[in-house]
Amino acid sequence: MLSGFRKQNVLPGFVPTVGYTVFYLSLIVLIPLSALVFKTAGMSFDGFIRTITAPRVMASYKVTFGAAFIAALINAIFGSLTAWVLARYRFPGKRIIDALIDLPFALPTAVVGITLATVYSSNGWLGSFLEPLGIKIAYSPAGIVVAMTVIGMPFVIRTLQPVIEEIEKETEECAACLGANRLQTFHLVIFPMLLPSILTGFALAFARAVGEYGSVIFIAGNMPMVSEITSLLIVTKLEQYDYSGATAIALVMLLASFVLLLAINLLQRWSRRYAEG
Amino acid sequence: MRIELENISKRFGDFHALNEINLSIPSGGLTALLGPSGSGKTTLLRVIAGLENPESGRILFDGEDTTASDVRERRVGFVFQHYALFRHMTVFENVSFGLRVRPREERPSKKEILERVNDLLHLLQLENFSDRYPVQLSGGQRQRVALARALAVEPQVMLLDEPFGALDAKIRLELRRWLRRLHDKINLTTVFVTHDQEEALEVADVIVITNEGRIEQVGTPEQVYEAPANPFVMDFLGHVNLFRGRVHSGLAYLEGIELPAPEHHAAEDVPAVGYVRPHDLVLERKATGSGSIRARVERTQVVGSVARVSLTINGNHETIEAELTRDLFLKLALVKGEIVYVRPRNVRVFADDEI
Amino acid sequence: METVAPPAISARELTRRNTLSEPAMVRWLLTGVALLFLGLFLFLPLLAVFGQALEKGFSAYLAAIKEPDSLAAIRLTLLVAAISVPLNLIFGVAAGWAVTKFRFPGKNLLVTLIDLPFSVSPVVSGLIYVLVFGLQGWLGPWLYNHNIKIIFAVPGIILATIFVTFPFVARELIALMQAQGSDEEEAAMVLGANGFQIFWRVTFPNIRWGIIYGVILCNARAMGEFGAVSVVSGHIRGLTNTIPLHVEILYNEYNFAAAFAVASLLALLALVTLAVKSIVEWKMRSPRPAGRSAQCASS
Repeated sequence: MLSGFRKQNVLPGFVPTVGYTVFYLSLIVLIPLSALVFKTAGMSFDGFIRTITAPRVMASYKVTFGAAFIAALINAIFGSLTAWVLARYRFPGKRIIDALIDLPFALPTAVVGITLATVYSSNGWLGSFLEPLGIKIAYSPAGIVVAMTVIGMPFVIRTLQPVIEEIEKETEECAACLGANRLQTFHLVIFPMLLPSILTGFALAFARAVGEYGSVIFIAGNMPMVSEITSLLIVTKLEQYDYSGATAIALVMLLASFVLLLAINLLQRWSRRYAEG
Repeated sequence: MRIELENISKRFGDFHALNEINLSIPSGGLTALLGPSGSGKTTLLRVIAGLENPESGRILFDGEDTTASDVRERRVGFVFQHYALFRHMTVFENVSFGLRVRPREERPSKKEILERVNDLLHLLQLENFSDRYPVQLSGGQRQRVALARALAVEPQVMLLDEPFGALDAKIRLELRRWLRRLHDKINLTTVFVTHDQEEALEVADVIVITNEGRIEQVGTPEQVYEAPANPFVMDFLGHVNLFRGRVHSGLAYLEGIELPAPEHHAAEDVPAVGYVRPHDLVLERKATGSGSIRARVERTQVVGSVARVSLTINGNHETIEAELTRDLFLKLALVKGEIVYVRPRNVRVFADDEI
Repeated sequence: METVAPPAISARELTRRNTLSEPAMVRWLLTGVALLFLGLFLFLPLLAVFGQALEKGFSAYLAAIKEPDSLAAIRLTLLVAAISVPLNLIFGVAAGWAVTKFRFPGKNLLVTLIDLPFSVSPVVSGLIYVLVFGLQGWLGPWLYNHNIKIIFAVPGIILATIFVTFPFVARELIALMQAQGSDEEEAAMVLGANGFQIFWRVTFPNIRWGIIYGVILCNARAMGEFGAVSVVSGHIRGLTNTIPLHVEILYNEYNFAAAFAVASLLALLALVTLAVKSIVEWKMRSPRPAGRSAQCASS
C-alpha cells in the first residue's frame, strides 16, 4: 500500500519516514494507551460504574474540575488583560517579563508545587499576610486553584498575544473614523475578534489544570473528600495495588481529556472562521 | 467642502514625511494626491482625516480650524487601502456601524438605519450581499462595502487611500471609471491617494503631485501633463527623452539644434536639459534646417495603433524613443539601421540649477 | 500667517490618544494589574525558590547538592534526558518530513495522534506503562521470568519520559516545514541531489533553529517531569530517583533547605531554557524575509 502512494510523491523518503513515524507512534503512544482500554474492558460493567462513581471519587472530580474551572476563569480574565498589556503597551523590563511568561512551561511542576506551598503557607512570604485576613490558601482547595492558575497561565496569554498583535491598526482607525469612541471600538470591534481566542486559551488552561498532578499535591493538603484531586486518587489506588480501580478512574480522565481536546479543536476552527483561505 | 492646509509639517524620527505643505482642495471636486512611494501622500491624507497629527501648521475645513479636533469630530469618510472591513460583521453590520455607534440622542431609529443602509447598498450595487461576511466577497465588492460604510455616516469629505491598489488590473480600470461616475452623482469633496499617474490623469479633476514631503505641482490633468512645473513632474507623468545642451539669453542649444526658450531670457550660457515626450518627436527623411537631429533607427515595434521607434543619436551614444501613429509609421517604412532626422516639438527646457 | 504654539499640539496629541488608544490612566492601571497578577503567581514564587535554597547559607546549599543521593538523582536525570531527547529528535525529524513532504490518506489523523501525549495527564501517562510492563500487566509475567525489570527501574522512567516529551520536536518541525513548503527540496532534486543531500544541504539549514527550539523544550520537560515518572519509578533512593522525585522526598522529610537547593537547579535549568528559547525565537524571526514570516503567521 505504501509503495502505491510513493508514486504520487516526488521527494524521496516516503516509506522510511512514514513507516518509522507510524512504528514509533504505535510503540510509545498507541499500544500503551490501548492497554488502558483493554484493562478496563476486563472489568465487569457494574464494577466499573461502581468504581468511578464511588463517593470519594465523585468528590475528587468535583475538586479537580471545580478548581480547574475557577483557575481557567482567573486566567481568562487576568491572562487576557496581561496579553493586552504585553501586546500594546510599553514599559521598562517588558522583554524580560514577556520571556518569563513561559516559565510555568519550563519550570518542573514539583518545583512549582513546593514553592507555592511555601510562599502561601501560614508563615510564607504571602501566606503570612493573608492568614491574618482569614484567607487560607495552602493546604485547602484554594491552594489547588492557585497551583492550577500558575501552571495554566501561559495558555491564555500566549494564545491571545499574537491575535492582538495581528489586529490591524487600520481596523481601529476605521472605527474611530466612523465615530466610535474607544469603549465602543473595544466592545464592538476588538472584543468580538478576540473572544474565540480567549475561549481557546480558557479551554487549554482548563485541560492542563484537570490533568495536573505535581504542583497540586504539595499545596492541596490532600484531604479525601475535600482537597483530593483525581490524579492523586489514581496514584493512591496504585500504591494500594488496586490496579483495576486506578485504571477505571484513569480511563475517565483520559476520556475527559479527549473531549476537551475535541472542544479545543472546534474552538480553534471557529476562531478562524472569518479568516482568509 | 473646501479643505485648506497651512504650513503642515510632520516627521517620523528623522524622516520628513511632510515639509511645510500648503494646499487648497476645492469643494466638490475629485482630487488626486499623486507621487512615488514615500513622497508623503498617504501621510497627508491621514493628516486631513485626523489619524495623524502634524507637528506644525493648521487644517481648515470650510475656513474653520479643525487642527485640534478628533478624528470622530471631523466627519470624514476614510477608505483604507486594504479596506479594514470588520471581519466578524456582515456587510449590513459593517455599513451600519457608524450609525449604530452614535450617542443615543443622535442615533437614527432602527428603521431609518435599515432604510439608509439599504439605499447605500443599492447605490453601490451590493443589495444582494447584505448578509455576507467580508471573507465571502471579491476584492471589488469589498472595496464597495468599504465605500458604502464610509458614506453611511454622511461625511463632509471622502478620503481614499490607494483605492484601487489591491485589485487586479482589469477590475481596477472598471472601478475607477465607476468611482468617477459615483462622484459625479453625489458630488462629495473627495481626495484619493495614488501612485499610478494614469489613474490620476483619468479620474481626477485636480492632481496634486508630491515628492519627498513637498508639493511639486497642483493643477488639472491637462495642466500638469502639458505644462509640468519641473523636471520631476515631467518625468513622473509618462516617458520623456532628454536632450543635453546649454541656454543663453532665451535660446537653447541642444544636440546641435537651436530652439527658442523665452523663459530663460536672462540665462547666461548655463547647462540645460530639454525634455520631450516621445509623441512630440517628428521623424523625417530629410534634415529641415537647424531644427532636426541626425539619428539612427535601432528598433521598431508596433503595438496596436501606435508605433515605437528606438533611435540612437550623438554617434550612437544615447538612445531616444519616438512614438508615432501606425499609419505614419507604415508610410515612412523605416528600416533598422537607416538614418533619419528627428525634429522635437514642445520641448521643455530646464536649466541645470532647476533640476 | 498664524503659527500654532507648541502647547496646543501636545493637547491635541492627548485628544487623539483618547480615540485611537486608551487614556494614560487606564493604560497604567491595566499594566499595574497585569504586573501584580504576574508578580503574585509567577515572579514571587520564582524568587522564593532561590531565597529558600540559600536560606541556610551558600555552604549548606552546596552541601545539599553534593550529597550522594542528590548526585545520583542528577546523574539519573541526565541519563534519562540523554536517551529520551535524541530518540524524540529522530522521530521529530522523520515525522516532520513524512507529514510535510508527502500526501497520503490519514495524514490529519496522524498529526492529531502525534499531539496526543500533550493531552494525557501525567499520572495516566505513567499508569499506561505500568499496565503494559508491570507485574499485573501484559508483558509483566514474561519479563519477570526473564528477569528484566522495566517498571520501578530506569527503563520505565525513560519510557514515561519519552511519552510525555513525545510531541515537542515533531510539532515544532511540522509547523516550520509546513510554512517553508517543499519548493527548495524539489529544486534540489531537479538539480540532481539525492535524498540525504537534499536533507543535509537544503532542509537542515532551514530547520536547524526549529530543531534547537524543539530540543530545548523537550529537554526541559524531560528533566523536570514529575507525575508520570513518579508512577513508574518506585522511589528507590540513589537508584530510581530523578531530581524532581528527590526534591519531593527531601520536602516530605521537612528538609526544606535541601529540597529547595536541589529544586533551584531545576529552576536554573528553566531560566536557561527560556533564555535559549528567546534567542532562538529572535533568530528565527530576524533573518526571514517578510513574506515567509507572514506565511508562518497564517499557517
